[in-house]
Amino acid sequence: MSTNPASGPESIDSFFSRHQFLIYRLFSLSGLIPVGAFLVVHLLTNASVLFGPESFQSRVDLIHSLQPILPFVEWAFIFLPMLFHASVGFAIIAGGLPNVGSYPYVGNVRYTLQRATGMIAFAFILWHVWQLHSLGKSFGGGAFKPEQATSTAATAIQSAPVAILYAIGVLSAVFHFANGLWTLGITWGIWTSPAAMRRANWVSIVVGVALAAAGLGGLAGMLTTDVDEAERIESKLHPKNDAAAQDGR
Amino acid sequence: MIRAVETDVAATDADSSVAVKTIRVRVLRQDAPGRESYWERHDVPYEPNMNIISVLQKIAAKATSADGRAVPPVAWDCSCLEEVCGSCTMLVNGRTRMACSALVDKLLVENADEIVIEPMTKFPVVRDLVVDRRRLFRSLERVKAWVPVDGSYDQGPGPRISPKEQEDAYPLSTCISCGCCLEACPQFTKIEVIRRDDESQEEFDARRKAAFDKGFLGAHAISQAMLFNAHPTGGMIADERLKAVTSQGGIQMCGNAQNCVAVCPKQIPLTRSIARAGRAATLWAIKRLFDR
Amino acid sequence: MSQPRVLVIGGGLAGLSATMRLAELGIGVDLVSLVPVKRSHSVCAQGGINSVNSLTRQQGDSEWKHFDDTVYGGDFLQHQPPVKEMAEWGPRIIDLMDRLGVPFNRTPEGFRDQRRFGGTLYKRTAFAGATTGQQLLYALDEQVRRYEVEGKVKKWEFWDFLEPVLDESGRCRGAICQDLVTMQFRAFPADAVILASGGCGLLYGRSTMSMVCTGSAVSRAYQSGAAYGNGEFIQVHPTAIPGADKLRLMSESARGEGGRVWVPRIPQDSRDPRQIPEAERCYFLEERYPKYGNLVPRDIATREIFDICTNEGLSVEKDRLCVYLDLTHLSRETLDRKLGGILEIYEKFQGVDPRSVPMKIFPAVHYSMGGLWVDYERSGSGGMVEGSPRNHQTTIPGLYAIGECDYQYHGANRLGANSLLSCIFSGLFVAPSVISSFDLARGWGGGGHSGQVFERATGRQEERHESFLSRRGGRENPYSLHGELGDIMTRAATVVRRNDQLRKAYDDVCRLEERWRECSLSDTGNWTNQNVVFTKSLGDMFPIAKVILKGALLRDECRGAHYKPEFAMPGIAATSPDEQRREAEAWCDRFERNTAKWLKSSIAKVGPDGHPEISYEDVDSSLIPPRPRLYGLVGAELIEEVWKERQAARTPASAEAAGRQPMTVGAG
Repeated sequence: MSTNPASGPESIDSFFSRHQFLIYRLFSLSGLIPVGAFLVVHLLTNASVLFGPESFQSRVDLIHSLQPILPFVEWAFIFLPMLFHASVGFAIIAGGLPNVGSYPYVGNVRYTLQRATGMIAFAFILWHVWQLHSLGKSFGGGAFKPEQATSTAATAIQSAPVAILYAIGVLSAVFHFANGLWTLGITWGIWTSPAAMRRANWVSIVVGVALAAAGLGGLAGMLTTDVDEAERIESKLHPKNDAAAQDGR
Repeated sequence: MIRAVETDVAATDADSSVAVKTIRVRVLRQDAPGRESYWERHDVPYEPNMNIISVLQKIAAKATSADGRAVPPVAWDCSCLEEVCGSCTMLVNGRTRMACSALVDKLLVENADEIVIEPMTKFPVVRDLVVDRRRLFRSLERVKAWVPVDGSYDQGPGPRISPKEQEDAYPLSTCISCGCCLEACPQFTKIEVIRRDDESQEEFDARRKAAFDKGFLGAHAISQAMLFNAHPTGGMIADERLKAVTSQGGIQMCGNAQNCVAVCPKQIPLTRSIARAGRAATLWAIKRLFDR
Repeated sequence: MSQPRVLVIGGGLAGLSATMRLAELGIGVDLVSLVPVKRSHSVCAQGGINSVNSLTRQQGDSEWKHFDDTVYGGDFLQHQPPVKEMAEWGPRIIDLMDRLGVPFNRTPEGFRDQRRFGGTLYKRTAFAGATTGQQLLYALDEQVRRYEVEGKVKKWEFWDFLEPVLDESGRCRGAICQDLVTMQFRAFPADAVILASGGCGLLYGRSTMSMVCTGSAVSRAYQSGAAYGNGEFIQVHPTAIPGADKLRLMSESARGEGGRVWVPRIPQDSRDPRQIPEAERCYFLEERYPKYGNLVPRDIATREIFDICTNEGLSVEKDRLCVYLDLTHLSRETLDRKLGGILEIYEKFQGVDPRSVPMKIFPAVHYSMGGLWVDYERSGSGGMVEGSPRNHQTTIPGLYAIGECDYQYHGANRLGANSLLSCIFSGLFVAPSVISSFDLARGWGGGGHSGQVFERATGRQEERHESFLSRRGGRENPYSLHGELGDIMTRAATVVRRNDQLRKAYDDVCRLEERWRECSLSDTGNWTNQNVVFTKSLGDMFPIAKVILKGALLRDECRGAHYKPEFAMPGIAATSPDEQRREAEAWCDRFERNTAKWLKSSIAKVGPDGHPEISYEDVDSSLIPPRPRLYGLVGAELIEEVWKERQAARTPASAEAAGRQPMTVGAG
């Protein structure tokens, strides 16, 4: 079938219509790889703070050893897939009519929560990136310094309202991921029978609980970090930190 | 307060030993497409073993609302009254179900004060509780829900089929096209096309069909596609069905809320069909990627 | 109209199979139905579809035996050639439905499984769970949908057939129908019209039939001059679940799979049925009919259940007549696999699990053996001539009738699992006949018919419609009148019939019809007005009710579903062998006299005063000579012996009878 080389909003609409299946499948896949995978790595990295600032710092250093291609990696494998996942996700949410009031079944509650947590997680991530990532610097955020990973992160989070928002954001992301894992298995036809779906459900619960533990653990680790102590350790690991910081880069 | 059921309800309520005479019914009415809907109350004398059909029959026969006004009888669809024709789908106490198998005694245990009856919300209202479900049948056309036989002349028996295959297929084949799965689906939204003044019936039909074809197929049609793909002869056009199932409004629209299977009056394993369609679509898409 | 076009009224098994075959033969079809065709009443048929098959063939079964069972079961009141043709088509029809994807139950090796049904000794019935009718209908619905996509069929769902349009020569040239949504009228010119509108159970108020089975389409054809045959033969199904809005069917397959019918020997024994010991249970069907047991033909089962409740006072309940139908001795697993669907119906509507508690059931009106009189052309081999324009044509040329709304196949009583067969068969078989009638239609020609005739008919219907809407001040409520009609018909014209009651019922129905003219509508609008549609169809119930009552009144005998105790032929009462022999001879004499007098179809035509005029038509029983139905009669063996001796002595005579041609209407 040949396609008309038309232009304008109608052709965009028809592009999305014609490739709806592909787009939705890529959306589903992107939730697992790379976005979900990144979430897992991120939360596990964070949780390493429980073993002390050295542990966390070394993992952050490992990631940042990718410089100078790190921005490229971040955009290609994290930000763009996430934006894609989010924009298709918002389109899906806009097209649905949650009805959990009339049909309060477990599956339907999860359907609704999946959409709610997706939106919360997305808002949280925007704020989180603004607050800590270097991208946020131009807008008065970007507090995280890779060479002083633990201290800068801990400083940013160590206030009750921020901590609570972080807990909500992290748990939303974890639920969205774990529940999404289960629905992904149905979408792609990995588990098809009700019994297999129940078994897969247990797997996703275990994954969810483990990730929630890692996420909250990392958060707790940051909250209980002694910032002065962390800075001392960081300056030992990265002697030039002070000078670099004074330069303002 | 009036109590309708002497047994269950009254037993839990010491001071209402009076057996009860009247069921209070609230019906959401609409005179025609495009008109405002409105609520109307009816009082119906209680009898044991009633269902919503007999309640509606009494409302039709009386044609007088609870406040004593003469009103046209409530319009509704029904035929077999044994939950096998799929006609009488409506919302009773907010939930989609078949009016014939909605037993009053059970509903009164849920809520003794009143019974609320509304038309389905995902299909255009024709009048009162009558809705236009032709989109549902259009979906069956979209997925080619039939066995593509050469013709009806004698060609001997059909293919041998194992009892297991039959037991797998049979439940899917009991789908009564009632539309409960679509009504309860948060991903299935109403498509109502109004005829324009300058439009012929044929133009209108074509425009409406085009609109339907953009919308979600729904669980019932996906399940039918899987039913026919599993049949030895039906499977000969499996690719065509998968093409339909993966085109706009196809299986990708499913949001896995799984309400379909929860409300299906025939307990059809719709989510299993959907997951199987998902698997078939995955394999088919991959195959197409490398085969073409 | 260069392309021939056929109008089919009704989208059940018969209408859909005719539509499918016509579309396949390249004929455009307009398919009109009160409901989306997938919702037709055929979905309610549960048990199965009969046909000889390779398995029963090896046990001695044959098409001839199926034919014989059908004719015997119908008490010989059918022209035999169409029945023979149907039995011969049986295997092909099952094969076809199998190919169309009907999920018939399977044997471990993957062949179609079969079960035994009432009135036969062979496992002849193919079935798909407990929803065979639904499955067969869906398979045809799917094929017709396929033709619809190809543009060969146009469906008109939620449309009502109002009248056949006849030209000056009396030939049917199409019909006037009404859109039940917009209430608009439309003329459908057609080269032939096929009525496949099903039964008329609503005449009886509550029955096992769907709410669309008003019989109005048939009545409108009858009022336009088509003859109605064997109206008095109404099958009452022995086992239905009593309900407030409807009597829901409990399929014969429940007995086919081993269900046992019983009542406690102590009247209205208040114990839990499961606590009643075997010795205190009366398995009355097994006791009275040891050979067939619980699987006696429907009319007999019905009468026995009726009898044990009313005459012997052994009804399970006091206020409501019912008996136990017990499946609890069978394993749950078997029950779920073979009867799942129907048991769910019981559970759903009664709130009791029939796998652990015996069901309570009672007879209910179920099927109309009678229907529009239709013709056929006998072939040399004793079947029907395929493609003859006479087959299934009513007395109005160009108007055909098939399925439950014709009178052709079931005589005085229908065998279980034969209706699905007769519907599909007549649908497939009528298609070439209709096509060959096109030539006749052209031959009678003259283009003058189309314009004015249709205009006049449409105008007449519009006027009638308006007169309903503009009625003011009538006192009668159509829904209450319908209730009254149902009560009258159920009391007088079901299981046991008495002439005084029938006479009174006829007068009552006439009075009701007068009152119906005083009906006022509670809805005078012109959009989806179900009130006016119902009122019209109620009006069309009276003519058929009168046909049934008058036919029953005039028929002073017992035959199949028509039972008048006054004319029953009791078994042998004597004890001494000589006396017994004499009684058996007398019995046979009486049987022969009765056959000579009453082995005739009653044919009703509407008279000028609106009352039915009934004449009688000889039955072509040239293939299988009539013989007594002796199920469970005392002394049956002896009577049979005498009967056989007489037959043996008369062989040359019956050979002569075999050459006789079928008679036409009124020839009796």
